This record gives sequence, structure tokens and C-alpha cells, in this order.
Amino acid sequence: KAVPMGMCCWFRLGLSGRAIISMLTRLRQANSKYDVIVIGGGHNGLVNAAYLARARKKVLVLERRHVLGGAAVTEEVFPGFKFSVCSYVVSLLRPEIIRELDLPRHGLEILPLDGTFTPMPNGDYLWRVNDHARTRREIARHSRLDAEAYDEYGKAMIEMAHFVKPIMSMTPPDPTSLDPKGWKNLAFLGRRFQKLSDDDKYNQVQLMTMSAVDFLDQWFETDVLKATMSASGIIGTFLGVRSPGTAYVLLHHYMGEIDGAFRSWGFARGGTGAISNAIGDAAREAGVEIRMEAAIEKILLRNGRATGVVLQNGDEIQAEVVSSSVDPRLTFMKMVGEEHLPDDFCTDLKRYKYRGSSGKVNLALDGLPDFKAMPGPGAHLRGAISISPSVEYMERAYDEAKYGRFSRRPYIDMVIPSLTDPSVAPPGKHVMSCFVQYAPYNLKEGNWDEKRDEFGDTVIDTIAEHAPNIRELIRDRQVLTPLDLEREFGLSEGNIFQGELTLEQLFFLRPAPGWAQYRTPIKNLYMCGSATHPGGGIMGAPGRNAALQLLKDGK
Amino acid sequence: MPTYDVTIIGGGHNGLVTAAYLAKNGLKTLVLERRKVAGGGAVTEEIHPGFRVSVLDHAAGPFSAQVISDLKLLPFGLQMINPEARVLALSPEGRSLCVFNDTARTLSEVQKFSATDAKVYPEFVDSFARIGRVLAPLISMTPPSIDEPTAADLWQLGKVGLAFRGLGKKDEYRLLRWGPMAVADLVGEWFETELLRATVAARGIYGAFAGPWSAGTSLGLLWQAAMDGSAIGSASYPRGGMGALADALVGAVKAAGAEIRTRANVAAIVGAESDEAKVVLESGEEISSRIVVSNADPRRTFLDLVDPVDLDPNFLSKMRNYRAPGAAGKVNLALSGLPGFNGADPEKLTGRIHIGPEIDYLERAFDASKYGDFSSEPYLDITIPSLADPSLTPDGKHVMSIHVQFAPYQLKHGDWNTRRDEFGANVLNQLERYAPGLKNLVLAQQVITPFDLE
Repeated sequence: KAVPMGMCCWFRLGLSGRAIISMLTRLRQANSKYDVIVIGGGHNGLVNAAYLARARKKVLVLERRHVLGGAAVTEEVFPGFKFSVCSYVVSLLRPEIIRELDLPRHGLEILPLDGTFTPMPNGDYLWRVNDHARTRREIARHSRLDAEAYDEYGKAMIEMAHFVKPIMSMTPPDPTSLDPKGWKNLAFLGRRFQKLSDDDKYNQVQLMTMSAVDFLDQWFETDVLKATMSASGIIGTFLGVRSPGTAYVLLHHYMGEIDGAFRSWGFARGGTGAISNAIGDAAREAGVEIRMEAAIEKILLRNGRATGVVLQNGDEIQAEVVSSSVDPRLTFMKMVGEEHLPDDFCTDLKRYKYRGSSGKVNLALDGLPDFKAMPGPGAHLRGAISISPSVEYMERAYDEAKYGRFSRRPYIDMVIPSLTDPSVAPPGKHVMSCFVQYAPYNLKEGNWDEKRDEFGDTVIDTIAEHAPNIRELIRDRQVLTPLDLEREFGLSEGNIFQGELTLEQLFFLRPAPGWAQYRTPIKNLYMCGSATHPGGGIMGAPGRNAALQLLKDGK
Repeated sequence: MPTYDVTIIGGGHNGLVTAAYLAKNGLKTLVLERRKVAGGGAVTEEIHPGFRVSVLDHAAGPFSAQVISDLKLLPFGLQMINPEARVLALSPEGRSLCVFNDTARTLSEVQKFSATDAKVYPEFVDSFARIGRVLAPLISMTPPSIDEPTAADLWQLGKVGLAFRGLGKKDEYRLLRWGPMAVADLVGEWFETELLRATVAARGIYGAFAGPWSAGTSLGLLWQAAMDGSAIGSASYPRGGMGALADALVGAVKAAGAEIRTRANVAAIVGAESDEAKVVLESGEEISSRIVVSNADPRRTFLDLVDPVDLDPNFLSKMRNYRAPGAAGKVNLALSGLPGFNGADPEKLTGRIHIGPEIDYLERAFDASKYGDFSSEPYLDITIPSLADPSLTPDGKHVMSIHVQFAPYQLKHGDWNTRRDEFGANVLNQLERYAPGLKNLVLAQQVITPFDLE
């Protein structure tokens, strides 16, 4: 759409079209003017860049840190110990992205993460694995009824996941607009909904509105099963397992299973950063230029249009379009400036909720933890280990956070990737990654700099209740509070999804009413991060959807 | 030939309203009520000689004006009292905030706390009224079937859709956003005064098993707004207490030609699959009718009264999953005088009195109930109906009706029979903090736990 300036003069000089294009291309390169600048080299920024470059755009990615990947990053935190510092498992990465960007050729290899082991304080445990028959037998040990319901539940959830799947790769319609294209999308959803069986329709409605525990109560009676399953409904939100709206996130757990990419949760060989590196590699191959340690000061504007960026070192870089993968607070409040934005939009952005609720503790270990519920090393350590012994435990952990304290006994999801991928730790040593909830960004008393160690100790104490030898094994530990996630990774208020995944912030409301189509009130400025539909997690869908929308808009 | 066209199980207010409409339309209708009087929860009782009070619900705020006019309840003795004061919210430090029907008066109250809040208050009220008007038709329609909507369903929904369009972009998005939100977030977006936030939020959790931080509680607030067009609840009640509403309904039902039988406890519904269903009373008597309408809750209707072989197992399991956790209790007091409430003007006491000064206070009250205990500092919604309706009490004396949240039906420790007194004492202690000296005025008290409600 952007007609290069002076096109008409060239015609007057009688040059052929091809000559004009080649001259223009050379001229543009000489001017180092880009078609698109992508802000942020996280997985969404890189996906966005790769798709744009494949559509012959000249793309520059600017990353503030010295490593690529944003929150999908591997770092050698302690010599010889490589950690997936933030995000640590993968399941939702969109299969079309893996396919279209040919990520396996660029080095992506997913290793299986088999099962979830939940130790209980009474010495018992619940151990679910990918082998369906074994899981059934294990659940039957707790309740025969639940073992039967588990099959039904799995089938129902997969039906639901099939229904939701196409929504993930769709630009959300604007329900207040009369644009027929938006209505076409809504009608499409309506028709799909009509095709569901009656039971599935009601399930779908309940999934959207109920709490994870209320929903699971309809299927199961075993408390520990409900507790550990409901945990996936609260990850990254400031909600409890009994909060309405958390049931929907249970579905995400099944999304990975239906697409055939990995069919379950897994690790990337070399850590989560390997995913970003593979996407980065694909992007470079498509012609993307990636610049590291290039922090952005401002987005350049002229007449309400984005025209490029200014780096913190003062460099100005021009581009036709700017596509930001960082969250809206950084993009608009910091890089654009409120004075350039409509009031309503600013109000909506200020109302957009981040309030991070989780932290991360990364441990370098001399050996393997020994769980009282199942002593010795074994396959149970190769999957996720979940500290979620009862529904009440989970809910109490949340209650403390509501009043501004981190949970004294938090929900912890642990993995030991070095068991599956020995390359990430020295021989005989291990890395253990602990995702911890709840850790509210806003503490009522004190601040996170003072409380960091206390928080780390709480996590170790909690683990030690189940695996007492953990204390002797720890060589080093890295404690990341929500404040650290904000400072180091640019996640406002430490929210791992760039904003809560609650109903009022999803689909056509993400990140702001009327601005869910990846566009912004600033012309030629797009959003392509987790703060846009369909939200956070290593999906890549926002980056891809935004690229397709940008191209469709003729930018 | 069946004896009746329709048998209605349960003579609560919904049963009576149904009966009156059906009888008016020429159907031979019978209402069966277990207790000695019809009216269900709408009962006025004498709790102390000369002191009468609405035993359960104390405000008939959302009772449909449409029904009052359709059934011509006013000639049957119904007289609604609508105090100018809607809610008086109290803070533990002795401050108070009163919301009136008149926005200008409310504004001067809000102004005492925050000029910013006073500035946005009118927009808040208007926005709720506008959105409420759009939702209102949903209340008087049969919920559409989501699997096979009929043409009439679609027409009704279409009308709501058009009204939605008429809201304009800003309110349209508000409605879409607010629906799933926690009411604590909603009030946080509008106001900075904690007391005002808590007062508005309370309406979203009134009668619900949810705290202000529970997602979806904004919908509760919007729903209420749809009923009376206001974000903040009013204290509309019938003269003579809720029993007067029941009396008027009974009068209207009888005048329309329907029959009401009291002390008629239904034991079973048989032949639910046939054209001639029979209702079997405890006495063994069988009553046949073409249609049976149940005003009992779905669990009682389908799990207790209907033979399971007559029902689709899938439907049965859905009924088992129907959630009806009791959330509230009630304390009624006979008082020898008007309690002080830190010197609040008596006019302000004629509406509801709200105790639950902070969002966190309301949330903590809810927390206890999640773990099977009643709140040690409960959220109280109080009325003193004798102020506007002296017929309820001897001269200069008063009755106070206190809705107490939260009180879960299932207690983790002990049971409601052994803990009733503790529950009542706890409410009085809490009240004493906001109305010092109240305890000395108490002549009699009636404590109603969720267990008693059942």
C-alpha cells in the first residue's frame, strides 16, 4: 500500500518496472529503512518477524537483552548448569508454526515429559502418566468411579479442545462493529457450536464460566486428583481453584494433545531457549536481521503514525511499520507516551490487569531428591512433580495472596529436565526448575528485594516436607520474584502471560476493548505479543496472527 | 379425566404468581402447600408479643412491578414502602455514607469522602441504568434453549441484540467486559473510596456463595440492576412485612379462581411420562392433573419426588450437579428502642444498613465459608422496617431484620443446632461495634440458620 515516494518521477524517466524495483530496493537498503521493526526478541516477536520476512518484508528485530527468547530462554545461571529460567515446559506451540517455519530443521527437538507425580502428606501419592491404562489403574487405587470418569472426562475435553482450536488462529472480531467480516467469524463460531452434541454444548458453557474445582467436582470424587488437575487452571492467574472462570484454562491442557505436534507436554532439548533459537534461526534464514542489546527508548511518531524507533543509545531507526511484542504498558505508556493516545484507550490500558502471581526457583543439585511417598530415583522424577495435595491446600495458598502475602505453603510445579536431557547439567548433577504460586507482585508488608530469600526458603521448606534430602543437595539457587521477572524480562508486574488470562481480558477484549485486532490507535503500530489474542504460553499464535493481520491490512 | 388442569407444588411466592396467571387464563389450578400458610419465604411472624417481622427475606426490592400490576395486587392489600434512603453504609471508625434515590443527595454524601468519586458517580449510575434496561427483557423471558433455540427464542434474543446495539460502543464493551469480572475489580475501576466500593460490591454477592473477588460477581450486580434500574439496591418492602405480600398473592390467586390447599405435603409425582400425572400426598391421597408445575427446587423435585426410572439418567446427573449451597442466615431482633448507629439521622436508617466496610472484609467473610465455617466478622444487610411501618411494633419499639453472610449449610465443626447461639451472639457482637448499646435494647431474638431454612 505504501507507494514509494517519487514513483511517478521514475516513470517519467521511462525506466522499466523491474529496474525501478531493484533500484528502490538498493536505495532502501542504503537508507537502512526497514519495512517492519519488531520490538522484542521473545518467541512471539521472532515468530512475527519470521512470517513477515517470508512475505518479503525487510524486518529488524530489536532485543534488549544479550540472549534471545524473552521468557522462553535458556541461560547458564551457574557454571555448567543450564536453566530454562522462566518458561520450562512446552505443549501449546502451534503445529502450523512448527510446520511452516520448519523448526525441526532449525534444531527444535522436543523430549517427552512423562506424567505428573503428586506426593501427599499421608505418605500416599497420585501418579498420572501418559500410558492411559496405567493411569487408570493408579486412579482406581484411589477411586474406581474416578477411573471410569477419567476416560469420559478425557474424551469430553478433547471434543471441547477441537471446538476451541480454530479460535486460536483467528483475529478476534469486534462485536460492536457492523463489519460483515467480523460477523462472518462470529457466525462461524456459532455454527461450530451448533454442531457440538448437547452435552458438549453445556460442557462448553460451564467451562467458560465455572471454577476448575466446581467443574471437576462434576466428574471426580478424589480430592488429590481434583487438586492437581485444577492447578492447571490457575497457572499465571491471580485466581484460586475455586474462582469462577478457571475451568476454561483446564482446556489448554488438552489443546496440546489434539494437534499431534507432541501430543503431551515436553521439554525442548537444550532448554526452552532452544525453541526461541530455532525460531530465530528460521527468521534469519528468511532474511530477518536481529540486533541484541538494543533497548528501545521511544517509538517515533509523525502525524499519529509510527515511523520507527529510537534506541537508548540514541540511534534512530526508521521503518514503515513497528510491531511490538512487549506488553501494552511498556509499548504505550513507556515507548509511545500517554499524550499521543486517546483518553479512552489509556483508561482501558490502565485497567488491563497484570498482577503477577507466581515466582520461579531454579536449583542446581548434587543429586536427585528423594520423595517420602516414593523413595529412590525412578520414572516419577522424569515428569512433573506437583505439590498440590488437596483442594483446600490450593485454596488456602490463594487466600494468603489475596491479602498481599506470598503463600506459606505454595503450589509448586517442579521438573528435573537434566534427567531427560543430560546436556543441561554436569555429569551426575541436576537442574531442577520450580514454578511457584502464589507470589503476589504487590506485597502488603515489605518489598520483594527484602523478601526474596524468605520466599526462596519457603519454597525449599515446602519441598523438604515431601523430599527431606533436598536441602543437602542444593549447590546454588536462583530465586525469581515477580519483581525480578519485571526487571529482567520486561514482564509488567511479573505476569508471565503479559496480562491475566481471565474472561474479561480474552478474545475480543485482549488487550483492550476495540483493539483486539493487533492494530493500535497509532497507525502502523501493531501488537504481536502475549497481551493479544489468544494470550500467553509458548504458543506463538499471537506473533503469527499479528503478522497475517498486518499483511492483510496491506502494510 | 384429570381433576385439574394444573397442580402446582409449593405455595411460595413463585408458585402463587404462577397459579394466579394460569387461573386468570381459565385453567383449573390447584396449589399444594406443605405448611399451614401459603407464601413460602414471604412470611411475617410475631417473634415477641406485639413485634412482627419478615422472617426470611426482608426487602422485596426486585419484586416485579409488572406482576404487581398484572395481578392487581394493590387492591388485595399490598402496599409497597419505598424509603428515600437506599443504603446507609457504616465504617468501623464511625463514618457513614448514605445512598439516596435522589442522585444529588447521594452526591453530597460521596463528596464527604472523595471529590473524584462524586464526579464519576452520576456516570456510573447512568451506565448501570442503561445497561440494566438492555438486560431487563431477559428477566421476563423463558431462557432460550442453547441447543435448539426456537423462533420465538431467537426473536426475543434478537430484540435484546438490537437493544445492545443501541447502547453505543462504550456501553456495549462495558457490558461485555463487566459480565465475567470480579465485582471488586469493577468497583475498583470506578471509585477510590473503600466504603463506597464495598457498598456497591456487596450487591453483587448478596445471597451468592461468592466473595467480591470471585469472577462473575459483576454479573450479579448487573442482573440486579436490570431488575430495578439501579446499581445500588433499594429497601422496598410491603407494609405489614413480607407476609402481606403473601396475603395479597393468596387473595389474587383465590379471586382468579384457583384453589389453595395448605398442610398438603407432596410425597411423590407418579406417571411423569404419561398425559395424566398424579401427585401423591403424604396422606396417600392422589390428585390427577394434566400438568404438574413444581415450585420446589430441582433437586427436591427430580431426586426426591419423581421416580428415577421416569428420568433420563443424563438429566438426573445434571440435577445432582445443580448447585444450591446455602450462603446466608438470618437474625431478627425485637428492640425496646431505636439503636444509635453513631448518631446517624433516623431518616437514613429507613433503607438498608450495610455492614461490610471494605472489599477485604467482605472477602474474608466469604473465606470462612469456603472451609465450612461461618464468618467471624460477617457481612450484614440490615433493615428496621418498623421505622417506616409502625404497624409492626408497639409504639416507640422496633424490629430489626438482619441478613447474615456467610453461613454455609455444611459446617466443618459441629452442626447448626449446637452452634445456633454462637452464630447469633457473633452477629450481635459485630453489630454492637457499629451501634454501641444495641445489645441492651434486645427484647427477643430469632436466629435462622441455613439448616432451619431447609
